[in-house]
Amino acid sequence: MSLRAFAFACVLVSGAVQAQAPETLGWLRKINDATQKLSYSGTFVYQNGSRSETSRITRYADAGGDIEKLEVMDGVPREIVREKDTVRCYLPGARLVKVDRRTERGFPALLPERITALAKNYDITLGESRRIAGYDCRAVVLTPKDNLRYGYRLYADTASGMLLRAVTVDANGEQVEQFMFTQLTIGGVTRDMVRTRHASRSWRVEDAEASPARLPGWGLSSELPGFHKVIELKRRLSDSRPASQMVYSDGLAAVSVFIESLEGRPEPVRTGLASMGAIHIYTREVANHVVTVVGEAPAASVQRIANAVEYRKPQ
Amino acid sequence: MNDRISALMDGELDEKSAARLIEALTRDAEAVRTWRRYHLIGDAMRGGLPLSDGFTERLAQRLAAEPTVLAPRRIRTESPRLFTVSAAAASVAAVAFVGWMAFAPQTGVAPAPVAQVQTPVEAKPVLVPLPNAANDYLLAHQGFSPRVSLQGMAPYVLTVAEHPAEARK
Repeated sequence: MSLRAFAFACVLVSGAVQAQAPETLGWLRKINDATQKLSYSGTFVYQNGSRSETSRITRYADAGGDIEKLEVMDGVPREIVREKDTVRCYLPGARLVKVDRRTERGFPALLPERITALAKNYDITLGESRRIAGYDCRAVVLTPKDNLRYGYRLYADTASGMLLRAVTVDANGEQVEQFMFTQLTIGGVTRDMVRTRHASRSWRVEDAEASPARLPGWGLSSELPGFHKVIELKRRLSDSRPASQMVYSDGLAAVSVFIESLEGRPEPVRTGLASMGAIHIYTREVANHVVTVVGEAPAASVQRIANAVEYRKPQ
Repeated sequence: MNDRISALMDGELDEKSAARLIEALTRDAEAVRTWRRYHLIGDAMRGGLPLSDGFTERLAQRLAAEPTVLAPRRIRTESPRLFTVSAAAASVAAVAFVGWMAFAPQTGVAPAPVAQVQTPVEAKPVLVPLPNAANDYLLAHQGFSPRVSLQGMAPYVLTVAEHPAEARK
């Protein structure tokens, strides 16, 4: 561990000693409310390792609901539009629209009681003040109580609560990935600004058709401490492949377990770990099925959940 | 020129173009300043502390003033210690490769160097490229991630990471 990482770890540890002040939890609520209620447009950079990518995000909110649009500015143009509970990915290269629809409930808002429950797995403290993209921000630091999850430094505008920068850190305090606004305007968004700019009427549509379902026989031989099952679903993935999905969450991070039949699978299963910033993906075979575990958690946690997946013939 | 320097930093240039650009950097003082400036921006974004002005020049002067040590080269041995070091280096390389794979075009061909890595710690998982359907899994997963309620749509950038496998369909 480098000296800097060690110093940072010391700072984290000293921060953990302080109790969760109501003021700190209030800050998380403020960020959550700003994310749900504000209209804004801005440019942000996503970075992991030496690689970075610039995107534009526009959010329009009024009494009738909200629409959010994200455009990736680097490389091939790609766009995602979320309206209420439906997410559409526009991939112009493939002339394809991928649709993910929630039927049973909205996006998981961090309700006040859930914010309080977060304190079971994270020490939540206030950090430094810093100016980001012209806004005076305050950091809220979430330090995990074990090494099964990542830590977060969230920098929010002191006036509006708008999140300007989010840094994910590992157990050594080293940065795993970050999102940071380089320009942000709050307000001044019209309905037109959040429409897709693609004429996609003739494009192919892949609809994920997810609905809650019981998955008899499937489960974990032991749950990861702090992570609880949130939902079980049956859904379709691309090319209409049927899949089952179980989602586990600790209140902030989530890990999904996808289960697909091996029958008719064109390529062999490659057991092992892949990663993408804070997201890890672990693939293995269980009971003639391929199990793919995807989550924003350290590699060891994703692997532990994957290795605990089991099938017991229902009695 | 600036675009190519940026591409070089991101490891996007092929071997020939990279060699040509590095050669150009040795002759073009302005390009070298751009190179340093980009790294400074990267360091600042990663939260690193910038070095003081003129650090490079001072370091070069002190290096030049260091005496040259003349000593026979060590004979290569196959000691276990050396093996551990090289295995560790190989797994670091593998991790770097997987990180790079997250954005690199997916060819679907097995990357040989990763498959052959001997990891020194037994519990370490085998590193594989992202599954072809990675974007589908991410799209299906993100909607259930509570961090979306703090960060809004931003984490969705990963969902549409460039994926030539999609474009070929």
